[in-house]
Amino acid sequence: MPSHSPVETTHSSQGGALNTLGRHFPAEVCEAYARFCASRESADADLVVIAIVLDHIPDKSLRPVVPPADSLALAADLGFDSVAITEMVFFLEDLFQIRITNDQILRVRTIGDLRAFVRQKLAGPSSAGSAGRA
Amino acid sequence: MTRRALVTGLGFITSIGNDRASVVQSLRALRPGLERVEFLGNPSLPVKVAGTVKEFSVDSASWRDWRYPPRYQFPRETLRSLAPHGLYALCAAEQALADAGLAAAALADGATGLYCASAGSAFLLHHHLAQMHAVRGERGNPMGVVASIAGTLNFNLAAHYGIRGAVGGFAAACASSSHALGCALDDIRLGRQTRMLVVGAEEVNAETVLPFAAMRALSTHADPACASRPFDQQRDGFVASGGAVCLILEEEETARRRGATVYAELAGWGQAADGHNVAVSHPEGAGLAEAMRRTLADAGVTPAGIDYVNAHATSTPAGDRSEALALRSVFTAAGARPHVSSTKGLTGHPLSMSGVMEAAFCALALREGFIPGNANLVTPDEACDGLNMTRATLDLAPATIMNNSSGFGGSNVCHVLRQFSI
Repeated sequence: MPSHSPVETTHSSQGGALNTLGRHFPAEVCEAYARFCASRESADADLVVIAIVLDHIPDKSLRPVVPPADSLALAADLGFDSVAITEMVFFLEDLFQIRITNDQILRVRTIGDLRAFVRQKLAGPSSAGSAGRA
Repeated sequence: MTRRALVTGLGFITSIGNDRASVVQSLRALRPGLERVEFLGNPSLPVKVAGTVKEFSVDSASWRDWRYPPRYQFPRETLRSLAPHGLYALCAAEQALADAGLAAAALADGATGLYCASAGSAFLLHHHLAQMHAVRGERGNPMGVVASIAGTLNFNLAAHYGIRGAVGGFAAACASSSHALGCALDDIRLGRQTRMLVVGAEEVNAETVLPFAAMRALSTHADPACASRPFDQQRDGFVASGGAVCLILEEEETARRRGATVYAELAGWGQAADGHNVAVSHPEGAGLAEAMRRTLADAGVTPAGIDYVNAHATSTPAGDRSEALALRSVFTAAGARPHVSSTKGLTGHPLSMSGVMEAAFCALALREGFIPGNANLVTPDEACDGLNMTRATLDLAPATIMNNSSGFGGSNVCHVLRQFSI
């Protein structure tokens, strides 16, 4: 794990996602995730969500300018196929310890939809959200 | 006359080299690709040596952690569904395309097919199933199936290159990629395809290798220089290996039209099973002998017309002996004395990929004009009496070569390759 990363390896079910975040995402994303864990500030979660979207774009030639517009469609603009969306959802679930159903994700079409959806999940009573919790 | 099939491109990720030039050098100089290894962090395991793949680090279950030569670039949508040996296979395919002077886009013409062979990735399958059990079935990697199961090579390479012709996989253990090559030849002869990619690949990790230790099939020699010694009296088992080889086969007129450079003609193939035992070859090599006879007949060649046999011999006591007896019954009994060697003394035994790897070695030998030697053959098994065992690599240009493969269940497959000039 790079020395700049504030994310530590965990033995919990978050382990794979945390390791991936720590090893392969930029330091500012790891730091935003650490801040989110400490403060529950949704702007920090937003930054992490955007980084995860960008990372899961199957074809990097479709990578948008950063920060990407909320109106960008995951499938039509960023080339997400159903597998990439599933991969991304599993990653979000593991990292933020939330549960996302197929019905819910089918309603998410744009980056803006996804940001709002994850914010709602993290704020909701049923979401675990407390990073580091098993 | 049926259509001819010509070998027009080769790609190598092997223990003895990751490109054609290195492989030729290793075959000529008898430079082995085996190294000391320690599986599962357990120094007390009896298996100490393997045919390792250099320049690649693919120990992680996550493709994000893999390291490989930067000359290979693949998009995320390809990498996410690969097993470690799938990465080897793609790299070998890229090499073969460049070697053949073909653009990747040419593979999407509908006349190109793809046959592959591997045992799948036991490593990734174990990883994904362990994850599934850990969360009581509630989640899993959506790419887990297509990255892990047998067939992963053809799934991934066909999708990556947009191949629209015949696509499939073969599972006959150590004869698998020889079946793939034979069936590719049939497809070209029958006019079903004008070009076939044949790919074999395997991983070198605990999950692939150690189950063979449980069968007592692996060498326990600790010295990489001499652990693999096919046909030698001191052999004590095979040395596992891995990597990938891609061979491009093209119908003669197709190759002519585009001015392809030809390594050799794949002139015939044949197969016959032992009908004897699930894991042990027939003690007299009956099935292999019959496979050789059928192959000679298919190629229209007599035993005396074969200059060199690249033997399957993996360095196991039983298997090498039965192959030697099979060779005697086909060649010695007919008064023929082709050179015989097994290149597994250099490479180790890469399981499913060995057939196409050794067919590619034969193609190199035909084009470059040499006969590979049999490393570590000091005192041949008495079963080799009368055979022309070839210890050192010879600067002799063979015109016609036979390539042998055998796998579990007694499957035996042979090919004949011969010189060909356009």
